[in-house]
Amino acid sequence: MSDASAPTNLLINIILRFGFLIVFAAFFALFAFWNPVFVQGGNLMNIVEGSAVLMILALGMTLIVATGGIDLSIGIALDFGAAFAVVAMKSYGLDWFGAACAGVIGGSIVGLFNALLVVGLKISPFLATLSTFFIGSSVQRIFTNGGGPISHRRMPEEFRNLALGDVFGVPTEAVIAFVLVVIYFIVLERSIWGRRIHAMGMQRSAAVVAGIRVNRILILCFVAAAATCAIAGLIAAANIRMFTPLSGFSYLLDAIAAVFIGAALHSRGRPNIPGTVMGVLFLGMVANGLNLMGLNFNTKDALQGIILVSALALAVAQRKARNG
Amino acid sequence: MGQSAFRLSGITKEFPGVRALDDASLEVLAGEVHGLVGENGAGKSTVIKVLAGVYQPEAGKVEVDGQLLSPATPANVHAAGVRFIHQELHLVPHFTVTESVFMGQERRGPFGLAKREMRKAAETFLRDTLGLDVSGNRLIRDLGTAERKLVQVARALIDGDAKVVVFDEPTAPLASNEVDIVMGAIARLKAQGIAILYVSHYLSEITDICDRVTVFRQGQTVGVFDNITADSAGDLVFAMVGRNITDMFPPKGDRVVSDGLQITDFTDGQKFAPLTMSVGKGEIVGIAGLIGSGREEFVDTLYGLRRRKMGAVSFEGADLTITTAAQAVRSGLVLVPRDRRHDGLVLSMSVAENVTLATLEDNAVMGLENRNAARKATLAQVQSLDIRPPNPDAITRLLSGGNQQKVVLARWLSTSARIFIFDEPTVGVDVGAKAEIYQLIEELAGEGACVIVSSSDPVELQGVCDRIVVMTRGALVGEMQADAISVDDLVAATTGASSVEEIRNAS
Amino acid sequence: MQAEAQGRRIVLEIFGFLPVIIFVAVLIYISFNAPNFLTLRNLELVLMQSLPVVLVCAGLAAVVMAGGDDVVSGGIDLSIPATAVLAAGITAQMLSLGYPLALCAAVAFAASMIVGGLNAVLVTRIQMTPLLTTLAMFVAVVGVNNVVTASRRINVDHPWITVLRAQEVGGVPLGILVVALLVAVIFFALHQTRWGLNLQAVGGSRDAAEISGLNVNRFIAQSFILAAFSGFVCGFFILARGSGSSPGVEDNLMLEMVLATFLGAAFSPRRVVTMWGAILGAILVAAISIGFKSMGVNVFWTGLIKGSLIVLVVAFSAISQRVR
Repeated sequence: MSDASAPTNLLINIILRFGFLIVFAAFFALFAFWNPVFVQGGNLMNIVEGSAVLMILALGMTLIVATGGIDLSIGIALDFGAAFAVVAMKSYGLDWFGAACAGVIGGSIVGLFNALLVVGLKISPFLATLSTFFIGSSVQRIFTNGGGPISHRRMPEEFRNLALGDVFGVPTEAVIAFVLVVIYFIVLERSIWGRRIHAMGMQRSAAVVAGIRVNRILILCFVAAAATCAIAGLIAAANIRMFTPLSGFSYLLDAIAAVFIGAALHSRGRPNIPGTVMGVLFLGMVANGLNLMGLNFNTKDALQGIILVSALALAVAQRKARNG
Repeated sequence: MGQSAFRLSGITKEFPGVRALDDASLEVLAGEVHGLVGENGAGKSTVIKVLAGVYQPEAGKVEVDGQLLSPATPANVHAAGVRFIHQELHLVPHFTVTESVFMGQERRGPFGLAKREMRKAAETFLRDTLGLDVSGNRLIRDLGTAERKLVQVARALIDGDAKVVVFDEPTAPLASNEVDIVMGAIARLKAQGIAILYVSHYLSEITDICDRVTVFRQGQTVGVFDNITADSAGDLVFAMVGRNITDMFPPKGDRVVSDGLQITDFTDGQKFAPLTMSVGKGEIVGIAGLIGSGREEFVDTLYGLRRRKMGAVSFEGADLTITTAAQAVRSGLVLVPRDRRHDGLVLSMSVAENVTLATLEDNAVMGLENRNAARKATLAQVQSLDIRPPNPDAITRLLSGGNQQKVVLARWLSTSARIFIFDEPTVGVDVGAKAEIYQLIEELAGEGACVIVSSSDPVELQGVCDRIVVMTRGALVGEMQADAISVDDLVAATTGASSVEEIRNAS
Repeated sequence: MQAEAQGRRIVLEIFGFLPVIIFVAVLIYISFNAPNFLTLRNLELVLMQSLPVVLVCAGLAAVVMAGGDDVVSGGIDLSIPATAVLAAGITAQMLSLGYPLALCAAVAFAASMIVGGLNAVLVTRIQMTPLLTTLAMFVAVVGVNNVVTASRRINVDHPWITVLRAQEVGGVPLGILVVALLVAVIFFALHQTRWGLNLQAVGGSRDAAEISGLNVNRFIAQSFILAAFSGFVCGFFILARGSGSSPGVEDNLMLEMVLATFLGAAFSPRRVVTMWGAILGAILVAAISIGFKSMGVNVFWTGLIKGSLIVLVVAFSAISQRVR
């Protein structure tokens, strides 16, 4: 390497090291400049509230990615959570709490199935959860006769409040997401189970030799992640007073992206809860900002996809530069 | 014969903190099979990489066929007709023999590849030059290990320009009947006037096949032996081991040995035959054996990393059922693995995280980590083992080999383990840390633990163990009292230069 | 010991063929229950139906061959179906605006190459995992396509495109002939040329390829370009099959592509992903889809059936790998 290129390298290094933060700030400034409404308190709260469902799904995804895997079926867990809860209220007349429990149990079934495939049949998490995705989608079509929504207009008020209520003026869904973030943070970053999860995700063979029961952890994580996603399903169902089949899929890529952006921001490249929160807020901000720019739906979608690819590439490149 | 095929002279090569080669020299004459022997770390693989042009030495000359190469690069060494048969096979399992032989040097025909021509050429070469009759359409994964080795040789030699071939431990993964196949091929190559450098730990093979032998020790050439015969093994061992290796090892304490670990008819059904051995409490038992002797597989199976086929393990008379490593750890049986960077440590975690990985509950309240307690516990271990830097938050990836090994030890010492398996405890560990690890092993036994040391280093085994069992090619062939034998005897036993009975009778 | 090993091998071989056996059994079952399933006319329909999948499978096979067949760390390109849909969308939109076909094709080709090139750069330069890269790319490309087509169905009746479906040459539909020719060319390139063998070597063992002096990254990059090209061609068959571009084809295409390609590995004598295996897989999957349809099975079940097939096939190959 010649000396002449050194300053250029330095510049590239700076951009790579702080790239993501710079991009975050740049987008924020751009949106604020475009439409001053963007920075108003009400809108910032909108971003947080609008990100709640994605936040909860991304938590589940963080857990699975921390074990060294990936979960393509989080959307199915969301759908199952919504479906079980709505059916429990509509057909069995359960109260809101019973329905919520039914939803979480319904979602957990998806996680158990994943665990069976990954731990029992030794299928790689990618192919296993892909299969779960297709099977779960098909099951929904079968039971809804092709994907028609199940609406429940006389939903108990308490259940509706999961999405529409507020706690001291803060929207309930944001509160739920926040509580889950705290729980996940404690478990993954502050507890001995989190330590084991990270160890097996980073270097599975070393974790095995250290006496960690990796299979048990995998099973628990798949079930816990799916149960968490089911909670997101409860909120989604409460929001629109119905269960819409196959609606969870649309969050999948954003959740994956949030987790990997977050992992790339960590100094040692671990998937981690604060990073995931950052990733979710970034995506939420972009979605909200693009909306306020008044773009049409398709353009906004495409821009979001392109920003997502770029953000991922940048985050990965940034980590490489830091460790390289 | 008589003319120089290649000559390395005055080679010095340094790595940070280590002088791997120190004014070393090596000359192979045209038409001869030349052996290169030395212990682990003697500089054999470094000198091969210097010859290959992979390492640039700080001093010294590389001449091939009388031509000075300055510097030697992989390209001009290859052009000069030097070929390397690496220890690892580097073959694609689902490729055919023909595809593997011609990988990267395929021949073209009028319609794409000249597949027929290549198959004929590969088959002919393997048959006529290496003595292996095999169809070019067979898949690599359906071949035996020796046959794969010959395919690897064919790939290096198929262009017909080879003048010198370097074999690096070609028989290490082979069963004894397969060794003859490779030996036969080497004899054929020699008959065709190709000079051969043969690097091996197996002295019986060296004395069988080599015309002359160079011995390396601690980066230096300590001897070149002519007129090699079956009786030369003793001289070679003497030259390899040297004579000043005493104060490295702690004095063996007066330990009371009582019934401890009993292993009976234990086998995985694949890599090692049923074996029976015992390790008393307060006893250090060594397992000697070269790579491919089944020693590593035995250790892994004992720890629950591989599936056992049959056999019983008991501790203090009670059955010890171990099917997973987690069970082993909970039963008080722990392993210091040979590949510590892969299996021993989570490299991107800190020292504290690694040390407390097996004792997380001890430093936690209701599942929540008490990081201060963990840090304190780690700090105590760090200080008692003298881990450097003495910082529990240091990333283990950045530690030296010796300190990494101490981190693994610290983790197990924090548990209440009663049975310790050390697999290659000092590979890649500097001399100072080595002595400390030996001291620690002695202390563990003194406190009444059962200790197994599995190692390819005969000096280490003889110095640290009470009793040594020897494995060769998948079988436990005998047992010796460490203080009744010399290091030379142990080398002779593991390399097959003499049998365990012969040694026992002699001593 | 020798005889025992021999016996184990035979059992293993049978085990490895189980997916094939299951498939054949299912087909026999269908032909008993749907009498006109095994007619020449129907087989032609199966072939026509499978053409788009065959094309993308050929591309995916190349990527997997160059990257290795571990789904997460090895080679995979999930973005091919999106590329195909984008090529179709661009062509359809430009045709409807009155541009000549050649220009439409040229623009579609350029767009496909950009996608392939981006994949290649992200994977080989930034070292993102192919799975993450191409999944994100899938979403971004679909988003761009929705902008191009405004998420509308666009009819195409250009004679050069309908000819792929309607025209017959010597009793065989032209589309089948074109695909057969293309597949033959790709097959020749992958299996009969030095380039193809080297590409396979790169995927089979990176170390072996590097020792043989091959430029690993170059082959991986080329495989992504080839995959994008197969997506480009596939675009025209999507147009021909549906008489136009329609949104939403990509999801199903992606599923069938992954299923067929990994199913194909179970069919190949070397138990690795190959062109022939993937193509055979694609045709069998189409046969089963059409078969169940002609048996009168509700289409909602197809996802379930296909998902279960992935599980079955992958579990069997995982188990036989492990025992080996």
